[in-house]
Amino acid sequence: MFEAPFMVRAFAELALLALICGPVSVFVFARRLSFVADALTHTVFPGVVIGFAAAGAEGIFGGALVAGVLTAVALTLLTRAGLLSDDAATAVVLTAMFSVGVALVSRRSSYTSDLTTFLFGRILTVTPRQLAETAVLAVVILALVAVGARAWIFRAFDPTGSAAAGFRTTWLDLWLNLVVALVVVAAVRAVGTVLVIALLVVPAAAARTVTDRLPAMAALGTVLTLLAGYAGLWVSWTASIDYGVRLTSATAVVLILVLAYAVLLPVGRLRAKTVGRAKTVGQAR
Amino acid sequence: MRWAIAEAVLAGALAGLIGVHVVLRRLSFFTMALTHATFPGVVAAAIIGVHIYLGGALAGVLVACGVAALSRRRGQDAAAATGVILSAGFALGVGLVATQNGFSRDLSSFLVGSILTVGPQDVTVTAVVLGVVAVVLAVGGRSFVFAGFDPTGARAAGYRLGLVDLTLLVTIELVIVTVVPAVGTILALALIVAPAAAARLWSDRLAVITALSVGFGVASGLAGLLLSGRYDIAAGAAITLVAAAILVLSLAATRIPRPAVAA
Repeated sequence: MFEAPFMVRAFAELALLALICGPVSVFVFARRLSFVADALTHTVFPGVVIGFAAAGAEGIFGGALVAGVLTAVALTLLTRAGLLSDDAATAVVLTAMFSVGVALVSRRSSYTSDLTTFLFGRILTVTPRQLAETAVLAVVILALVAVGARAWIFRAFDPTGSAAAGFRTTWLDLWLNLVVALVVVAAVRAVGTVLVIALLVVPAAAARTVTDRLPAMAALGTVLTLLAGYAGLWVSWTASIDYGVRLTSATAVVLILVLAYAVLLPVGRLRAKTVGRAKTVGQAR
Repeated sequence: MRWAIAEAVLAGALAGLIGVHVVLRRLSFFTMALTHATFPGVVAAAIIGVHIYLGGALAGVLVACGVAALSRRRGQDAAAATGVILSAGFALGVGLVATQNGFSRDLSSFLVGSILTVGPQDVTVTAVVLGVVAVVLAVGGRSFVFAGFDPTGARAAGYRLGLVDLTLLVTIELVIVTVVPAVGTILALALIVAPAAAARLWSDRLAVITALSVGFGVASGLAGLLLSGRYDIAAGAAITLVAAAILVLSLAATRIPRPAVAA
């Protein structure tokens, strides 16, 4: 399938995303931020709409960035104040921001096609320019992760200890939320919401079944995502070309990633039996 | 339009009723996963030609069992398991729709609903489910709260926890399957969580919270429909924004008398 140049670009984009999603998903897993990640994929939508209305296709990136950062700040503040429980606050921010986007879009004519693009992304029409943007963001994200990693781990597994050691919990949380927001912004236009949420949650959860060391989880997550990306593109290509079944690439990638998770579950259980009762890392609040 | 108003009132009341328990038990993410994972069931049912409520209900039961089973595995907690199930269900549903013709129309109505096009049948179903859920909560409300706040005590008092939890999850599932085809996933989540979270700020007593929550839900539905007609924006989005505005106003109003609590 790689005789088609657009498939090469699609795979390159997925490879870049695999590189950042492996490490980031480990922290999403350890801090139980699945719902926050899900919320962020929805809340960048109004930013995408406003950016597109203001400056055309060039504005999408900036709009999504602003909306993502706003959400990260709002979520951090709402959960810190402790007036609402985390999940209720997240649900309200998610639905309210998404509705702003829908309300804006519903006043324009090409309503449904915009929503569809937002769901699926346009991985097969990724341009070299978009690839370059993703690459730059990937470097920025990996740098931010490298700086924050140790403090995040400390905060995840021993919140009281890290606060006593002088780490500012709120700033660490905000920092992590911002990194997740950046990943969403980097990925959402190319691969759509369906795939972004899967990329942020599934790699670490799958890797966790076979290892409890964080660096190994990150590496394994990246490898799994790479394999799923390749296999997903191949399946959707074969289904469309040879069998005439319209299978979107993003969907195929997600389903294969989840399949990998399902296959790894029993493997992990076998390993747990042989190793004995390993200590349960990953359970810290 | 008359049916839309009836559906908005009934859905608001239904969501407000169950929302109290969703908020107290912190099941928002689970609710979100249910709305997304019910989707492939609905689509598959539509393709095969079975009634869509049946397909949705079946998928929902599978999801509830899946999350419960996965989160019991070593090292997998409920949040990660819910996330995995959510992505799988969402991708499956979206993939199924994409193989059909004219799918973008269906997708957007799945997300934001089409409350303006509900018919007498939808309204009847919603009304019946509202009755059933009201009865279940009237009978089991106390044990749900007991099991939620003090599982050990509830077990000691002779409640069967597994049964209580399962009843609650199935009730939530029933509400979602009823509401999502008419009003969409985002609106369903907003109507379930926002009014109840707002009501929770005003009181600590279950009866008061429930009454307020139902009131807020109905008010959001009516006000949202009104705004949507006047300013020509999508009805589901308008209702969601009103529900969120009620929560923000409640936050502001309940914080004024007690500034010492502020963080």
